[in-house]
Amino acid sequence: MSFWQYLSNRHQQLLTDAFQHASAVFQCMVLATVIGVLIGVLTYRSDWAGNLAVTSTATILTIPSLALIGLLIPVLGLGVPPTVTALTLYGLLPIVRNAIVGLRGVDPALVDAAKGIGMSRAARLLRVELPLAWPPILTGIRVATQMLMGIAAVAAYASGPGLGNEIFRGIASLGSANALNEVLSGTLGIIVLALLFDAVYVGIGRLTIPRGIRA
Amino acid sequence: MSPDRPGRSTRPDGEHDVRGLAFRDDGDGERDEPAYEPVVSPARPKRKVTWQKLVFTPVVLAAVLLATYLWITNIHLDSIEHNSLDNGNVQLRLWQHVKLTAISTFWVLVIAIPVGIALTRRRLRKVAPVVTALANIGQATPAIGLLALLVIWLGIGARTAIIGIVAYAVLPVLSNTVAGLKAIDPTLVEAARGIGMSAPGVLAKIELPLAVPLILAGVRTALVLNVGTATLATFGGGGGLGDLITSGIVNQRMPVLILGSVLTVVLALLVDWLASIAEQLMRPRGLEVSA
Repeated sequence: MSFWQYLSNRHQQLLTDAFQHASAVFQCMVLATVIGVLIGVLTYRSDWAGNLAVTSTATILTIPSLALIGLLIPVLGLGVPPTVTALTLYGLLPIVRNAIVGLRGVDPALVDAAKGIGMSRAARLLRVELPLAWPPILTGIRVATQMLMGIAAVAAYASGPGLGNEIFRGIASLGSANALNEVLSGTLGIIVLALLFDAVYVGIGRLTIPRGIRA
Repeated sequence: MSPDRPGRSTRPDGEHDVRGLAFRDDGDGERDEPAYEPVVSPARPKRKVTWQKLVFTPVVLAAVLLATYLWITNIHLDSIEHNSLDNGNVQLRLWQHVKLTAISTFWVLVIAIPVGIALTRRRLRKVAPVVTALANIGQATPAIGLLALLVIWLGIGARTAIIGIVAYAVLPVLSNTVAGLKAIDPTLVEAARGIGMSAPGVLAKIELPLAVPLILAGVRTALVLNVGTATLATFGGGGGLGDLITSGIVNQRMPVLILGSVLTVVLALLVDWLASIAEQLMRPRGLEVSA
């Protein structure tokens, strides 16, 4: 069976897998963004806490994905829970680091000016500091998403959802007629998804980065 | 994705808060950073190796290993677990993993650094954007998919696994090297040419020393990536610690799974720690505060 025949025969299954892959990555990214920005906001003022946050998220990223998933299985079982936990944890580092760098990079004079016109602490954070720190945070989100695409594929080994299942099905049936088609469709599908997400982020950047600070 | 570890601050917490404003530290080597910091960035300048940094990670890792060892020796193992863990299997897998990581890192450096240097020479400079674009697509490629394709193409075995690991890590290190060489102030290169240095002389005496921090960061990235990708070698019959993890999952034997995972984690953190120490020791003296 040629690759194109395979695609048209299995498009139902492939689309389901692709959708699940994208939705798992997307949901974990939303979670990671919320948690990551929160950690950034809470820690960027203190040198010590900021460094601790970056160091500990960097440590998580150093851990190979298969090993982290392996450690989560005894606690959370197989399937979706370890996948979501692992993906969210891996998504944190780029976001936390860029949030802290971005927030620390905001010109103190601007914050001072905002204070001077009577803005409260929360207003300064929401209307001055976070918008100015948004471009690097968005970059962090892009990097994290690319990474999660690949890690989600590995998570399929722990019965996680997504296109990784195609790849592992291919590995399990090495030598069979469809092994190559399965692996190829899974791999290419993930690349296509990653590029699509990236394009969406570029669009989000166009829409959400204030005109005045666009590079 | 070079996990970078800023040195532990020695000052107390509150000292960095000036009247509720974000404090800008000029004292110990930190400079104002541009708002856009690329994530693959040179490790920020930091203090030389302190004893806390030297001791903390190994002590924690040793404690984790000891706890795991005590736990594994004190629980009852059934025959499947004995099969997976006895007869030096654990040592064999660990050794395979170290070998996979070392060999693949060697090849990554042998390929990526010369190609990176070549790409920044004048004649090939036009090709560089193509490579960067390729590197971006490469980043989107899942390691497991790449490995599976190679296995179908080349057959199973450690050789295929190493090729896969190398292919996956070459592009990040390559783009790191190119970025490092490009970041060098062109006036320095011009000045060197101006005092009559030859092109190879400029490369060896000016450009490469200045790019050392970024190249070292690339080496560390490669090592950490490779330890991780090597866990996937088991799917291509390449052995390694991934073998313990997968057999733990497949046979539903948690002790095997946990032992494999813990050893992988400890190995990854140890390698990263060694690389970070090497990174700081090998950084040229004058470059502590540089781009």
